[in-house]
Amino acid sequence: MPKFRSPSTSEPSRRSPFEGADADSPRHDSLPALKALDRRSFLGLSLGAGATLALTACGGQSTSAAKSDGGTLKWGWALPTSWDPVTSSAGWDVHALSLVYAALTKLDPKGVAVPALAKSWKYNDDGTVVTFTLRSGETFSDGSPIDATAVKKSLERGRDYEKSLVAAQLIGVEKVTALDEHTIELRLAAPDFQIPALLAGKTGMIVNPKVLEKDAASLSTKPAGAGPYTLVSYVENSKAVLRRNPAYWDAGQIKTENFELHPLPEPSTVVAALQSGQYNVAQIPGSQVKAAKAAGLEVQVIPSMVVAVLDVHIGKKPFTDPDVALALKYAIDREELLKTAAFGYGEVTRQPFPSGYAGHDDALDKLFPYDPEKAKELLAKAGYADGLKITLSAQKAEGVPELIQAQLKKVGITATLEAIPSDQATQIVYIQRSKALYVDQFAGRDSATQAFQVLFGEEGLMNPGRTTSSELEKALDVVRRTPLDAPEYPEVLQKATGIAVRTMPNVFLYTVPRILARNPKVSEIPAYTVVQRFEGVTVS
Amino acid sequence: MRVLRLTWRQRSARIALAVLAVVAVLAVAGGAFAPDDPLAQHPADMLQGPSAAHLLGTDYLGRDVLSRLIAGTGLSIAGALEAVAAAMLLGVIPGVASVWLGRTVEWTTQRAADTLMIMPFTVFAIAVVGALGNGMHQAMLALGVLFAPLYFRVTRAAALGLKQAQYVEAAELMGASRWWILRTHVWGKILPTIAVTTAQTVGQALLVVSSLTFLGLGVQPPAPTWGGMLASDLGYLAQQPWAPLIPGAAIMITVGALNLLADAIRDSGAPTADELGKPPRAEGTAPALVTEDREPLNSPETQGRSANRATPSEDPELPSEDHANAAATVARTHIEQPEEAEHRVTTG
Repeated sequence: MPKFRSPSTSEPSRRSPFEGADADSPRHDSLPALKALDRRSFLGLSLGAGATLALTACGGQSTSAAKSDGGTLKWGWALPTSWDPVTSSAGWDVHALSLVYAALTKLDPKGVAVPALAKSWKYNDDGTVVTFTLRSGETFSDGSPIDATAVKKSLERGRDYEKSLVAAQLIGVEKVTALDEHTIELRLAAPDFQIPALLAGKTGMIVNPKVLEKDAASLSTKPAGAGPYTLVSYVENSKAVLRRNPAYWDAGQIKTENFELHPLPEPSTVVAALQSGQYNVAQIPGSQVKAAKAAGLEVQVIPSMVVAVLDVHIGKKPFTDPDVALALKYAIDREELLKTAAFGYGEVTRQPFPSGYAGHDDALDKLFPYDPEKAKELLAKAGYADGLKITLSAQKAEGVPELIQAQLKKVGITATLEAIPSDQATQIVYIQRSKALYVDQFAGRDSATQAFQVLFGEEGLMNPGRTTSSELEKALDVVRRTPLDAPEYPEVLQKATGIAVRTMPNVFLYTVPRILARNPKVSEIPAYTVVQRFEGVTVS
Repeated sequence: MRVLRLTWRQRSARIALAVLAVVAVLAVAGGAFAPDDPLAQHPADMLQGPSAAHLLGTDYLGRDVLSRLIAGTGLSIAGALEAVAAAMLLGVIPGVASVWLGRTVEWTTQRAADTLMIMPFTVFAIAVVGALGNGMHQAMLALGVLFAPLYFRVTRAAALGLKQAQYVEAAELMGASRWWILRTHVWGKILPTIAVTTAQTVGQALLVVSSLTFLGLGVQPPAPTWGGMLASDLGYLAQQPWAPLIPGAAIMITVGALNLLADAIRDSGAPTADELGKPPRAEGTAPALVTEDREPLNSPETQGRSANRATPSEDPELPSEDHANAAATVARTHIEQPEEAEHRVTTG
C-alpha cells in the first residue's frame, strides 16, 4: 500500500519567512510529491488504505552552492527497509543508505576501505585500539558539525540501541572516546583489524546526533546524515527523490544535481521503462540483457559480492540430520541454474565470496560437484532411501525454485514450493526462523568477518539454524587479528572460508553480478564491487 | 425449459457451447491429451519457437507450452467454477431469503452485500490468503465471497417482482406454504436470470483467477495455469515476443464463448418483439427494479404497478416481464461489472 510521507511535514513552523522568497524552493520542492501521485497512487488512495498525503514537501536546503552539471539520475534499484542505518533490516539497504549517509570510511571499487569522513586511521600494534582522524570543517546536511562527539554518539547508538540490527557488528567495540574535536578512539575487546572496512557500511554511517536526541523515530523516513544527497521526498514503495548535498565532503565528485531512487523494476517492463525515461539506470535480470541492448541501452555487468544461496535450517527436520543437509550440496546442478535462470551471467560457486576477493579459494569450488548418486547414497544413509518430502520456500516460486525442485526430484526429494510475500520474508525466514529451506541471495558485506557473522554466526541473521562451529570461530579470531594488508591475510581468510564451506549447511549456488542497463545519456557507472556509488556519473 | 430451447436455436449459442465442450473435455481429461509431461524441464531447449517436437514452443525452463496449456485448463477452469459456485451459494440463497424472510433479514443481507461490494477484489483475496494460507481454495473462496453480491442483487431483483405477482399472492391466500411457492412459482423464473449471470461470472472469474495466479496467489508453480503462463511469458518478451499470445488466446476464447452464451441466454429470456408490443410493460417496470430498495414494498405506486403487470405474468410458463426486467438488470450490472473487476485487479 503506498503511503505518502514527506520528510518535513512536522516542521513547517520552523521555516523562516525568507525561505518562501528564496528562489523557487517551495514550488520546486512540491513538484516531485505531485508527480508521485501517479495513477496507481491515486487508485491506492481510492482503496481507502489509510494513505496519508502531504504535499508540503520541503527539503529546506539551499542549492546555491551547486557546482554540478544538473540532470537527474533515476535509478531503478530498491528502496530501503528503513532510512535509519541502525534499524534497516536488509543488507541490500546499504546501497540506498550510502546515498544519504557518509560513513567514516568507504570501500573503493575493489572493496578496500579508503578514507571518507575519517581522513586517516591508525591501529596500535596489538590491533586493540584504532584511532580515526576526522576531516575538519565537515557538516551534516542541516549545517551542524561532524565532530568526534557526533561520531561517538552515532557509533554508540549502533552498539547500544535496543532495536539496533548492527549491534552484533559492534559488540567488540568496548569504548568509544572523543580524544579531541577531530580524533576518535575505538578500544576493542580483542584485536580486530576489520573495523575500518566494517565502518564503511551501515555500521559506520554517521547519523546527526541532533536528530537522534530530538526525534530518533523519524529517521526511518527522514534520514539525517552527511551523504552525497539529501532526501527531498519519499513515497514508501514508490520512490525517493534526492538532491545533491553541497556539504558532502566529496561533493566535487557528485555531478548529478537530482537523484531518484525507485523500487526494483518488473523484469517484463524494465526495458520499456528505461526507454520511456521512467528510469535512466536500472538493474535488469539476465533475461533482459538482449532486449536492453536491442533497445539501444548500454548494459554494464559489474561483478558484485552477491551470491545466490540456499539457506538450510538445521534445527528443522529433516535437515537435523547432517547427511540430508550434505546431500543437498551434491543434488543441485549449479551449472544448470546459472545457464537457465541467470542466462549465464555470473559464475557457479560453492563459497560466499566471488573470485577475485581475498577470501575466495579456487580449491573450494572443486568441492561438492553435481553428483545425484552421491546425494542418493547420503539420503539412504540418513534413512530416506524411499524418498523424502520437504517444503522449499522462496519469495518467487518461479524460476530457480522450480529448477531446484526438479533437480531434487531426481534424487528422491519431493519438494513443495511455497511463495513468501517479499515484504515479510526477512521476518518469516530470518527472525521467526520458521522455514526449513529457503532460496535467497546473500548481498555481501563490507568486511569479511561481518559476512561470516551474518551467514554463519551464532546470531547471524542469515543463519536460520543459529548454530556455528567452534573451529570456524577460532579461524575467524585469527582473521580478526591479521591486519588487512598483511601478506598472510588472504591465506587465513581462505582458511576460514574453507571451514565454513565444509561445516556449515548453506548451499552456495552462483554469483549474481550487478547488471545495470542505462540510457546512453548517462555516463559509465563506476564498477564498485560491494556498494554501488555514483561518484563522477553525469547525465547529459 | 423454454429459455434453454430458445437458446439452443441460436447459432452463436451452439458455437459457444461447442467451444465450451472442448474446454470442458480438456479440463477433465487434459493430462491424457498433453503430448508431453507439462512439468518436465529441458533447460537445454528453453525458449524455443514452435517446432515438430514442441508445437507451441517451450517456456523459460524448456517445458512444452502446448502440454502446459492443455494441462493448465483443468486448474484454471476449476478455479473459476469454484469461485462461481461459492458466489452462487452465498448470493442466490440470501437473495431469495431477503425477499421472503421479513425486514430484518432483508436489511441485514442488503447491508452485507453493500459491504462486500466495496471490497477490492485483489486486496481482499490477498488478505484472505494471508489469513487462511496461500492455496487455490482459499483464493477462490475469497473471490466467491466477492462475486456473491452480484448474485444477491440479481436474484433479489428477479424475486422481488414475483413476490407481488397476483398469482403468488393468490397462492399465499390459498394457504400455500412459502416453500411451495418458491418451488412452483419462483424458482423456475429466476433460474434463467441466474444462468445468464453465471455465464458472465464464469468468464470474469476466469480472468480474475488468471490475474491472481499472475500475482502468485492461488495455484503455486510449477503447476500450470493460463494466468501463470501468461505472467511468466511476459518476463521473456525479448526472446519470445509472441509467447503471451498463446495463454492469452486460451483465456480470450473461453471468456468469449461464455459471453456469447450469456448473450444468447439473455436474448432468449427477453420478450419477443410480439410481446413488446403490449403497452403496460415498456414503462415503469424496469426503473422499479432499480429503485426497489428505496421504496416501501406496499406503497400504492408499487401495488398499482403490480396490478398493471398482472396480465402478462399470469401464465407462469410464459417468459414474463419480470424476466425481461431481471435480464435488463443483469445486462446493466454487467456493463459495469467488467470495468469494476478490471479496476479492482489493477489496484492490487
